[in-house]
Amino acid sequence: MKILVTAKRVEDPESKIKVKPDGSGIVPEGLKYKINPFDEIAVEEALRLSAAHTGDVVVVSIGTKDVHEQLRHALAMGATKAVWVNHTGALDQLAIARLLQKVVEKEKPDLVILGKQSIDDDQNQVGQYLAEFLGWSQATFASKVEALDSDAEKNKQPGLKLTADKKGLTVVREVDGGLSTLECSLPAVVTTDLRLNQPRYASLPGIMKAKSKPIEELTPAALAVDVAPKLTVTKLSSPPARKAGIKVADVPALVEKLKNEAKAF
Amino acid sequence: MATPTEQKTPSFMTSMCFGTIEEEQILPYPKTRPQDVELLKNVITSLDQLLKPHEKDFRAWDRAGEMPPSMIEELKQFGMFSLIIPESHGGMAMNATCYSRTLQEMAKYDGSVAVTVGAHSSIGMRGLVLFGTDAQKQQYFAKLASGEMIAAFCLTEPGSGSDAASIKTTAVKDGDHWVLNGNKLWITNGGIASFFTVFAKTGGQAERGNMTAFIVTKDMPGVSVGPHEDKMGLRASSTTTVHFDNVRIPAANVLGEVGKGFKVAMKILNSGRSGLGGGTIGVMKKLLALGTKQAKDRTQFGKPIAEFGLVKQKLGHLVVDCYATESTVNMLNHFVDSGVEEYAVEAAIAKVFGSEAMWRSCDEMLQVAGGNGYMCEFPYERIMRDARINRIFEGTNDILRLFISLTVLNEVGSSLKELSDSLKGIFDNPIKGFGVLSDYARRRAAIATGVKREKSHFTKLHPAVQEKGTLVEELTRDLAAAADRILRKHGKNIIGKQFATKRLADIMIDLFVLSCTLSRVSTAVQDKGAGNCTKELEILEVLSGQVRRRVKSNFNKIDDNDDEHIKSLANHALELEGYAWDNI
Repeated sequence: MKILVTAKRVEDPESKIKVKPDGSGIVPEGLKYKINPFDEIAVEEALRLSAAHTGDVVVVSIGTKDVHEQLRHALAMGATKAVWVNHTGALDQLAIARLLQKVVEKEKPDLVILGKQSIDDDQNQVGQYLAEFLGWSQATFASKVEALDSDAEKNKQPGLKLTADKKGLTVVREVDGGLSTLECSLPAVVTTDLRLNQPRYASLPGIMKAKSKPIEELTPAALAVDVAPKLTVTKLSSPPARKAGIKVADVPALVEKLKNEAKAF
Repeated sequence: MATPTEQKTPSFMTSMCFGTIEEEQILPYPKTRPQDVELLKNVITSLDQLLKPHEKDFRAWDRAGEMPPSMIEELKQFGMFSLIIPESHGGMAMNATCYSRTLQEMAKYDGSVAVTVGAHSSIGMRGLVLFGTDAQKQQYFAKLASGEMIAAFCLTEPGSGSDAASIKTTAVKDGDHWVLNGNKLWITNGGIASFFTVFAKTGGQAERGNMTAFIVTKDMPGVSVGPHEDKMGLRASSTTTVHFDNVRIPAANVLGEVGKGFKVAMKILNSGRSGLGGGTIGVMKKLLALGTKQAKDRTQFGKPIAEFGLVKQKLGHLVVDCYATESTVNMLNHFVDSGVEEYAVEAAIAKVFGSEAMWRSCDEMLQVAGGNGYMCEFPYERIMRDARINRIFEGTNDILRLFISLTVLNEVGSSLKELSDSLKGIFDNPIKGFGVLSDYARRRAAIATGVKREKSHFTKLHPAVQEKGTLVEELTRDLAAAADRILRKHGKNIIGKQFATKRLADIMIDLFVLSCTLSRVSTAVQDKGAGNCTKELEILEVLSGQVRRRVKSNFNKIDDNDDEHIKSLANHALELEGYAWDNI
């Protein structure tokens, strides 16, 4: 089966992120970048499924040439080929979903797996839009029953399971207060939650192999997608610094503060 | 001009000792190639994923004094032993720049892991890369790349450390085999290696220095290893003795030429220094991250200690040390990668400066952490224990200082036709030739102090750093004068004058480090504009001040010193084997 996955380039959450004084964006100097962690889980899941059922994994990223770094990383993890949609500038979720739709129509995968959201904008929309535009079934927030320290995980078993007739997919979803299991027909769009798997790292031989794997270049124009944003970010600001707490002498003092200052009850 | 046309191009520092600044060798400052940047970014991302989950383990393994086989296995699976092996044999084909940077990243996590990988690639199998025949490479490269075979470098013996030519292990030709006998000591990776680069005497016990390098494998009958050594630092890495008892080695396993083993050993150690240098930078970067966080978190007298001058002083100096070391090591890597042949002195300088800058940094950041720094719960003490060996192994810094000065004098001497005969083998017979060299050096220094000469000035520096360039020019004349003065003072006895030789080495170390840093900052200003390089310019300001004061001081000490008193006091203590002035 052929699986298409996404690999968005996002700021490494461990680097120190500063907002520009005018709020127009973040300061890019000294930042490290990586694959959106949810997308990395999608890549891992696709690799497991393709290992179990044979098939190709195509990884897609949208952005400037910088995204080659993330594409190469996914290729080094084991993806078969990469598609780079060359675009400079901001994109809203709608435009991203439209671009992905065109790439999917071109690549004709049986399954699309992407992160449930990217950790930079935290929108959680692209997967849902994409399923709608394609008219495919969708399963969001894919997780699995087995814990991340289970044998199933150690043996790199996929969390998404093909149905016996191989025409559908069983997906365990994370929902409030538990897990829900649903079965959807293929082709489908699945978005991944955090506990679906523990992504592998790319080994050094994997990195060497990735050097010769193809990266196909596309553009919004070639895909005939109008990417003019309908949604624009007007301003970014850092959360206000937390004020220092205070110590209270005893429980009555605490109750008094909660009641009269915090108006908690 | 000092550059002899009929000879190979002298190294940057050799030229400098004669007042010549070969600026095109160091300017513009080398940039990492785009393909290397891409490769490194991928490698570093994966390396973080491999090592980060083990951060707690590293401390536990240090305490236990051993790394579990599962970690070695993980390193093998990751491809960690394939770094410098050609791509055609399943390796990463890393150049010095990439290799050094990879070791840097590993050193940020754990010294024991870094040295396990480093001993394999930097020295264990480096001889095969440099001197191996096609057949030898065909036979071993793939296994070394996969980690099926881990490599170790076997030179040191119980009675032979810095004096490598004095080894007692012998190899005697017997038909188409060599029979190897002897014992090796402190062999990194000894317990996990199955590929040994072994040095043995092949000229009989009497002939000093006639040795040969051999490839020995664990499966050869008669090879055995001792127990895991209990060490101060790098405790989780394997260090053992290795014994050879009538080991029959096929003649095809000779590495390089028979009788040329000393040269093989030195070449291996030289080219291995880019990895060690990278490691020192990684440790300093890690210490800066730890120290700054500690300084901001720790509150005393009602404010974070980061606000106190003496804490800032330590952090500021660490920034300068780290930047200067990085500038120097990257320059060395560039020399190696661009095919410069003469870089042994510069490699030794990078090793000495880097290992000492790292040691200072360990000490000062532990001080910032105060009592916490002394507790095993915090990483400082482990980093410090792990760091200490860098001033000892792969050539002690003391021996390297002598090497730095004497090599330059020897090289310059032997590069001159009229002197080459009288100076041949200056290390074996230092008595010959120094009178002539002294005359020559005096002549050169006279020119060096002259005002305008070809190649005594920088012409390619950015105007913003020209002032520092002028300083380097001035100090270069001091260096030439120092070389001359030392030779004139000690003449043919220079080999025995270690105090003086060390002073010359210290001047050379300072000047090379400053030259590399100057080049880097100049190029940065050229690329980004002075307004975007204010911190780099400050680093250069601090370093050039330090270097100027140290060089002047060392220069003055050539004539104004306490050397004879110090020696006399040492002799007194040696006689007593202790201290004479107890007050009860």
